[in-house]
Amino acid sequence: MPSVKDLRERIRSLKNTQQITKAMKQVAAAKIRRAEAAQKQARPYADTLAEMLRDLMNAVSTVDHPFMKPGNASAPMGVILMTADKGLAGAFNSNVIRAGELFAREQKEVAWYTVGIKARNAVRRMGKPNHPTWVLNAPSKIDVARAVAKQVTDDFIGGKISGITMISSKLITMMVQRPETRQMVPIVADALRAKGDAGEAESHAPKGSVEFAPSPEFVLSRLLPKYLEFTIFSAMLETDAAFFAAQLLAMNNATDNAGKLIDELTIQMNNARQAAITKELLEIVGGAEALVNG
Amino acid sequence: MAASTIPFKLITPTKVVFEGDAELVIAVTTEGEEGILPHHAPFLAALKPGILRANVLADGKNERLELATGEGFMQALPDRLTILVDEALHFDDIDVAKTRDDLANATDPAAIEFANAKLRLVGSH
Repeated sequence: MPSVKDLRERIRSLKNTQQITKAMKQVAAAKIRRAEAAQKQARPYADTLAEMLRDLMNAVSTVDHPFMKPGNASAPMGVILMTADKGLAGAFNSNVIRAGELFAREQKEVAWYTVGIKARNAVRRMGKPNHPTWVLNAPSKIDVARAVAKQVTDDFIGGKISGITMISSKLITMMVQRPETRQMVPIVADALRAKGDAGEAESHAPKGSVEFAPSPEFVLSRLLPKYLEFTIFSAMLETDAAFFAAQLLAMNNATDNAGKLIDELTIQMNNARQAAITKELLEIVGGAEALVNG
Repeated sequence: MAASTIPFKLITPTKVVFEGDAELVIAVTTEGEEGILPHHAPFLAALKPGILRANVLADGKNERLELATGEGFMQALPDRLTILVDEALHFDDIDVAKTRDDLANATDPAAIEFANAKLRLVGSH
């Protein structure tokens, strides 16, 4: 049985840990609000972009844009793997990384692009030390998104990759975050049309009556790269929010577990202390009795 | 109150820069400057970096809006006008020294145009 002193020491150290996890929980709770506000501010842009895209897709019959055509089939699939920069959020990062590994197993060959330090380290461990990589928590996320979009676009058009798939975390509820794998390029035209329809039911103008300057094809060719850029940007915002939600949950559990352990150890310590007192009393009584009898 | 206005929104990926009513909006499309008045025919254009000007109503008062904007799109519908741009900066948001640096190092034509637009906007004040 551990001594009272050992137990007291363990309880003290657990209380320190609990302080830290509690503080991290509060920080995560504050940051999640900020991350959600950033997501909310990006929504008007997302909605308008989707609406414009739908109007355009309805206006053009054939689209002559590299994003709409199959890429170089013999090239590896380009995968953007996106995680947080830091850990201490339960299985948040490893879930995304596992989804990436599973996806890679289905492909002949994969060219990795990583956003977030945890994804970078995971891909480096797979033996790809020099893949293109960015941190998630940059001062300007939109600039990172633009850099990623530019790199994958150049590689796709240059025939170095056969397509672009992004694997990132989706915030389903505050308690549930799930990795999501989506194919971004080549773009499936029908998916865009359907996406627009789901957004707002009514079309603003009958087909053919919208005036495009200079032409719908030209505007679309400008819009598609923006769409890719913005999709990466909004995935970064979502990863941020999902990360803090996962961290909040992990730290909440850690604080609870530390509390349970402290209670358990406190009882053990009290028992040990009481046992020592009882033992001493018995010794005193025994000694006294020996004196009387002697 | 002026004769007629149209609900106008100016949106960047990170925020809604302006939301209110406009009497006139002039943006630089890839084909040149385009002025939009209320009741414009449905219209969708690509914008290049430049200076966006608009006569807007803020708190019932007429106001002139002048912003340096990045690449984007303008959508005019019978009931509203929406502009999406990469960036939209007021004249006092512009860091002239940094913009000059950017301009010196920029290779991308859009980045050069945007830097020039920012400097023109500062110069006009």
